[in-house]
Amino acid sequence: MAQAASQLVIRSAEVQLAGDVYELEAKLDLRLPEEALKAIDGGLTARLTYQIDVSRVRRYMLNAGVASLEQRYELSYHALSQRYLVRNLNSGEQQDFGTLQAAIDRVCELRGLPILDTTLVVPGRAYEGRIRAVLDMSTLPEALGWLLFWTDEWSATSSWYTWTLRR
Amino acid sequence: MDAASLKRAAYAAVMAVGGLLWLAAILSMALTAQNSDQFSRLHPWILMINIAGLVVLIGLLATKLAQLVRDWRGHVIGSRLKARMVWIFGILATLPILLVYFFAVQFLSRGIDSWFNVEIRRSLDDALLLSRAALEVRMREHLAATEVMADEVAAKGGPMPGLLESLRRQGGALEITVATESGAIIAASKGLSSEVVPEGVPDEVLLQVRGARPFVSLEPQPGGGYLVRTGVSLGPVMPGQDRLVLQAIYPVAERLGALADTVQAAYKQFGEKDYLRKPLKASFILTLTVVLLLSLLAAWYGAIFTAQRLVQPIQDLVKGTRAVAQGDLDTRLPLTSHDEMGFLVHSFNDMTKRLRRAREDQRRAQHDAETERAKLAIVLARLSTGVISLEADRRVRTANRAATMILGEDLEARVGASFEGIGAEGSLARHFSDACRIRFASGEPEWREQFVLQAGTGRRILMCACTPLPLEGDTLGGYVLVFDDITTMLRAQREAAWGEVARRLAHEIKNPLTPIRLSAERLRHKLLPSLTEEKDAQMLARATETIVQQVEAMKEMVNAFSEYARAPRLEMSAVELNKVVMEVTDLYRAQDARPLVRLSVDLDPALGTVEADAGRLRQLLHNLLTNAVEALENRPRGEVEVKTRLAQRGGDQVAEIIVADNGPGFQPELLGQVFDPYVTTKAKGTGLGLAIVRKIVEEHGGHIEADNRAEGGAQVRIDLPVTETRAAGARGDVRQFEPRRERA
Repeated sequence: MAQAASQLVIRSAEVQLAGDVYELEAKLDLRLPEEALKAIDGGLTARLTYQIDVSRVRRYMLNAGVASLEQRYELSYHALSQRYLVRNLNSGEQQDFGTLQAAIDRVCELRGLPILDTTLVVPGRAYEGRIRAVLDMSTLPEALGWLLFWTDEWSATSSWYTWTLRR
Repeated sequence: MDAASLKRAAYAAVMAVGGLLWLAAILSMALTAQNSDQFSRLHPWILMINIAGLVVLIGLLATKLAQLVRDWRGHVIGSRLKARMVWIFGILATLPILLVYFFAVQFLSRGIDSWFNVEIRRSLDDALLLSRAALEVRMREHLAATEVMADEVAAKGGPMPGLLESLRRQGGALEITVATESGAIIAASKGLSSEVVPEGVPDEVLLQVRGARPFVSLEPQPGGGYLVRTGVSLGPVMPGQDRLVLQAIYPVAERLGALADTVQAAYKQFGEKDYLRKPLKASFILTLTVVLLLSLLAAWYGAIFTAQRLVQPIQDLVKGTRAVAQGDLDTRLPLTSHDEMGFLVHSFNDMTKRLRRAREDQRRAQHDAETERAKLAIVLARLSTGVISLEADRRVRTANRAATMILGEDLEARVGASFEGIGAEGSLARHFSDACRIRFASGEPEWREQFVLQAGTGRRILMCACTPLPLEGDTLGGYVLVFDDITTMLRAQREAAWGEVARRLAHEIKNPLTPIRLSAERLRHKLLPSLTEEKDAQMLARATETIVQQVEAMKEMVNAFSEYARAPRLEMSAVELNKVVMEVTDLYRAQDARPLVRLSVDLDPALGTVEADAGRLRQLLHNLLTNAVEALENRPRGEVEVKTRLAQRGGDQVAEIIVADNGPGFQPELLGQVFDPYVTTKAKGTGLGLAIVRKIVEEHGGHIEADNRAEGGAQVRIDLPVTETRAAGARGDVRQFEPRRERA
């Protein structure tokens, strides 16, 4: 029987200038099927990656890339403490939550993520930023990686969400 | 290298490359399943390659099987044997593969299940519960300690300076924080080892404490180890103030934390793998199935290929045998191997080679025989001797042209018919076959006899010899009749003899005749005047008169002999036959001596000229007319007819002269000899008239026949050869020819 797929949609994304840095605020709507939730409870680790690009808009050529970064989170269940752990793989910071939904809510929200220094932005020029989320349920040991060809039903990628930036 | 070799080499190369790819794909699948990191990334590609190989193999196999079915239905040679071999090879390969597959699937399934044994699962659960219980004891102790601290802070009237520090040290906490229910930190104490800034109170702690329930939780740390977070309500320290919350964080002993981490890690790992159990089994079984199908299809394809290789020489042999049976001895079978089959093919090729050589020898011998037969046929055709070969039952097998000409019967048209009874009744051929039948009836196989046969054309003498042919197996091979018409030869001999007699007579008798006559006349002249006696004188006169008369008679007779024996040179020229006939017949018309004989002349105006000696022709006509007129003596209404015609004889034009009368005709017994010298029925005459006529005819290459007419009387028919070119070209010329000699 085919398993239901995960759904990822970027609901909102906006950039705010904080000092000399543009910070990103984004919200993701992540819906995991029941089997995926059970799999996380069973010990499977979910990895969520936000891929963010900022490029300068050019009229007659392809846009020129200005900045590109990834923000990665790992969500797993700690059976001994009966808590859900969210680890920021970029910073190594770890948080634990009593419920899975609280953990999911945590990874679905980006707050104050610095993405661009103002020195990189030329005044008067238009910039385009985009973001998408990639859910990877395949955080298995490498040796068993080939099995994911058969099992990786829940990994999913959201569509790109774009916004414009003008200084 | 020819196209077939090139094709074979290309096919072998493709097969080798395909086989190597297939082996590589299967080995890769095996390495993937053995958890090789390098291959696990390539797993989808390897699987795709294997499935593609599977599809290619299915296509190849389907093509081959369809071809086999078509051959079977079309009753192609060797298709049944090939199908049987494919079936046997296929079954022999399939059974063990299926057995291995069945046991491998069972083993795999049970093996994987054994990894996730219920006992192991339960042990891990128990270990987890045990660890959790051990930690919960600590958590309860720490919670109790936090509650004691909260009571003490409440008793002191709030978090007085130094109080939290002393309580933290006493309770062994890492951090103690007092905050309002909204989370605002009022006071905190933190150990030196930790960060200076207090962590704050999480929402879930505040939420639970607001519900008047103490909070305690075990928090795993990023670098390993655990912390115990506790939170209790302080209650309102001062009247009118918000309720406060006391949070204390305690470390878990390193040893205990490490052990707990180990249990957690094992539990998590087991959970991950348990989750993968089904896909693991499915993928292993799928891998095994793909490998099995590849092996199975390859085995079947190999079975078809092997059967084809084994059956091909047999098919070639059968085709070759059929070709040989249809006479194609140029068939050469390709020698594909050096085993027993190769020996068989070699023997077949050797056999066809020998057969071809034998057939060539036979053809050569047959050609030689045909050539010899053709030569013999030419010799036989040119022979003047008649040759007839008969079957043992005396049916005509072959007959040459001379036989046809001699017998006057187209024997070549009678091949296959019985020799007895050939020809019309009374014909020479019928007389000849009757005479032969009598000899055959005597039982004597080999004989030689001279037949004197009386046919419508006159008396014919045939010298015939019969020889039996060699035996064909146990039966008689037949007979050969060799015969010749010796009538002319005998006649020529007789004429030659007569000519010799005539010459001798002319020489021996004619010479003394003149002295005898002169002597008689002298006697008469000398003695007659001297004789006085009338009686003596009359006697002398009568005697001498008689002598002179008889001498004259003898002279005429000798002259006639001389004439017959003479062979004068012919003065040949183009002669208008009708004109000659008219000249001669006019002489006879003018004669009044025989008014009772009526002469009618019927001349064919189409008749042109003939090559002849005009004088001899006149003599010929004179003799015939004299003969006819003499035959009509004492006949009241004698009639003589003279006709000329342009007629066809055996494809040649001849000038036909017919002289007929209504006299008594020839005596039947003498009919065959009327042209012989001294054969005559008349009281007077030399008996040389018709003999001279025939001699003149033969000198001109003509043919003469004498017969009695049905309405009475005799008829002589003469054919003289006519040729237009000769007649036209020779008109007015006079040439000299030796008299023609008839074939003897």
